[in-house]
Amino acid sequence: MTNKLVFSAVRAAQSPQHVVFSFAATAAEVFAMGRIERAGRGDGGTLRGFQRPQIASHILEIRDYLEREDAVLPNSVVLAFTDRVTVTQVKDSIVEVEVDVSDGPPGLIVDGQQRLSALAPLTDKSFQVFVSGIICQNEEELRRQFILINNTRPLPKELIYELLPGIASLPERMSSRSMASALTQRLNFDRNSTLYRQIRLHTNPEGVIASNAIQRVIMASRSHGALRVLAQSPDGDERCFGLVSDFYGAIQEVFKKDWVGLSPKTSRLVHSVGIISMGRVMEVAFHVCGARTFADFREVLKNISGQTHWTQGVWSFGNSDNVRKRAWNELQSVHPDIQLLSDHLDRLVRQTNRDRVLQEPTVDLVRKTATG
Amino acid sequence: MKFIYADSLDFVDPRYDFLADRSPTDREPQWDDEYPHEILGYAPYSGLLVSHAIVMRGKYTLPQAMRFRLVGAREFLRFTEKKFPGTWVIGDSGAFSYHRDTEPPISVEDMTEFYGEAGFTHGCSVDHVIFEFDESVVGMAGGTEESRRRFEITIENARRFLASTKSLGPGFTPMGVVQGWSPDSMGCAAQKLEAMGYTYLALGGMAPLKSDAIHRCLDAIRGQIKPSTRIHVLGFAKADNIFEFQRHNITSFDTTSPLLRAFKDQKSNYYLPAGDEKLKYFTAIRIPQALENLTLGRLVKSGRITQEELLALEREALDTLRRFDRGQADIEGTLDAVTRYSEVLLMSPHADDASASEKKLFDIRSRYRQTLESKPWKDCRCAICREISIEVIIFRSSNRNKRRGIHNLHVFYNHVKGLEKADTYDEQASLFCS
Repeated sequence: MTNKLVFSAVRAAQSPQHVVFSFAATAAEVFAMGRIERAGRGDGGTLRGFQRPQIASHILEIRDYLEREDAVLPNSVVLAFTDRVTVTQVKDSIVEVEVDVSDGPPGLIVDGQQRLSALAPLTDKSFQVFVSGIICQNEEELRRQFILINNTRPLPKELIYELLPGIASLPERMSSRSMASALTQRLNFDRNSTLYRQIRLHTNPEGVIASNAIQRVIMASRSHGALRVLAQSPDGDERCFGLVSDFYGAIQEVFKKDWVGLSPKTSRLVHSVGIISMGRVMEVAFHVCGARTFADFREVLKNISGQTHWTQGVWSFGNSDNVRKRAWNELQSVHPDIQLLSDHLDRLVRQTNRDRVLQEPTVDLVRKTATG
Repeated sequence: MKFIYADSLDFVDPRYDFLADRSPTDREPQWDDEYPHEILGYAPYSGLLVSHAIVMRGKYTLPQAMRFRLVGAREFLRFTEKKFPGTWVIGDSGAFSYHRDTEPPISVEDMTEFYGEAGFTHGCSVDHVIFEFDESVVGMAGGTEESRRRFEITIENARRFLASTKSLGPGFTPMGVVQGWSPDSMGCAAQKLEAMGYTYLALGGMAPLKSDAIHRCLDAIRGQIKPSTRIHVLGFAKADNIFEFQRHNITSFDTTSPLLRAFKDQKSNYYLPAGDEKLKYFTAIRIPQALENLTLGRLVKSGRITQEELLALEREALDTLRRFDRGQADIEGTLDAVTRYSEVLLMSPHADDASASEKKLFDIRSRYRQTLESKPWKDCRCAICREISIEVIIFRSSNRNKRRGIHNLHVFYNHVKGLEKADTYDEQASLFCS
């Protein structure tokens, strides 16, 4: 084992009290120089360390990415030292950094532990990361740096979701959201869409309908409903767009006075609870009544139009012995209310459309992988 | 006697990578997964029981519940009549989920609608659990006011349910649920249900009762009804001793215990047939995931051990076990590697507490020794044990634990079949029998 690691680095002119520099190193070298000190209690209950534990799912996502040929990791990990490191000026801002590792890693990893943990077991150990080093005067200073570095604000979810569709090969948990987000944006910005400019997005703040509500309808349908069926066809994207647009277009025609010019406060139909619950109606209309077009949806919806309470009145949920009454504006966008309203609308559609089966119901959803 | 399995989305990922410990990134839950009747290559039960509560207020996601009702139970569970002829799909309301409510949260009409939409072959009336049990009272004596109120709700609902399910046609068999606070009151309920026209009764509330009490209830019920009236025992927790119950002329029972005990029981996790109408049990070897286990996470947060140390112990335990399976590691070394990790699991998060109890560790080691000496997974020819070998005995995350549970279903199903006459023995299942 070598006693010293030497790197060429670039030094930045910052605070006169600190030495700050940057260089490239492999994960193994970083672990030789710095250790992860997780917060814990020592004997007598004294606090030591500061890092949170590794998060397995997060590491796995990073690892999946890093295993790719074209992986890059431009943001640096941050190492802080208080001693056993010497910085010698070579020329202008170019310095030589010498780290004494004879007695174990002298530094602490203050940012990037999940990235490094992901990198550690990968067979291609030659992958280098940028290391930003900082020499602190003492432990307290080092802790302060940790808090400052990690106290960043995450981006708003709404913006992240809007950015997703432009990015290929994301972690799987994001890709169903990405598909939903792409379709939502098209529904909002395509002039042929019945929801044109009506969905509130980061880039369309005057929209009325919550983008998350539409995305939930799309994700549910894509995983277990009509959009899963349509997506199998060659022009799948087009048909998915058409179906959702036609369905919400039919709603706007049949429930005109509950939609046009209204907001979630004045109509529960444009509120998330209404948008999401109507998603179930789209599925029942599609699967049970065979609805495929704007005209089909309009016929199905007409049959329930006298029995809804989007802007006034009281809903009676359940039937016969177990009736639960709820004023129109008592419904919120929470799981139990969404379920209550979805079940009720589902039943209404089935009851009022008993005799009309437009096409043979589609039940033959396809499983992706056949395993034997 | 039909063994019905109470499903709660118990599937596994057939493409799970045991060495990397993960599913492929493009896995779609439920769609790409396999139920026991898929992964074993045959159905290790005569039917499935699905409760309304688990679909609508339990394990199913909203989109899953939606599809269950749109395409029907069989299609959703991929348990079609065509592929699994003669099987049943029984529904019930899931009374344990609302035992604290004054009234059942679901109406008789809603329940009928649910059964109709999802195409159940059998369905239970909407009952309300009675927790009181008093063997000493005779006839309709005893019973608190609350028990009597629930008794009336259950009977009245059964009466309305029978009328309501007429609309579902002859393909659907209604089952009247028996609830009571004593053997005699259950007998009385059964007799009332039979008089209404039920030919199939479902006995509820048996899960907490001891075997003796269940025998007494069944005797009381059988004493009040025709021999031709069929009986189903709901949530039969004494499933392993099923042979003791043969004399009651039970048509069917449902249980989840073979699957659940694979990961909920302290000791009996892996089943094998033992001959003489019995089963024998082995303890699965616990190697929880170092970065995901909550107990280990608490130890790390409190600073008693680092994640790097845990990862090393975990790796060593897994590697040694696999080498043992290939005949490359001896039993003592394997036990050492495994118990070093177990020792951490027994640690207290408080540094000043005494370390792992010696006795507990000794017990664990001796149970693991039995498991490793017997290598029971090598004796089983079910599709799971043949495919994943020693991984089936490792107590670790859903894909191993549920596979072990599904293996148990295979053993248990054949155990139940074996209790019947040789001429009714299931040909297909016997192919997989060890």
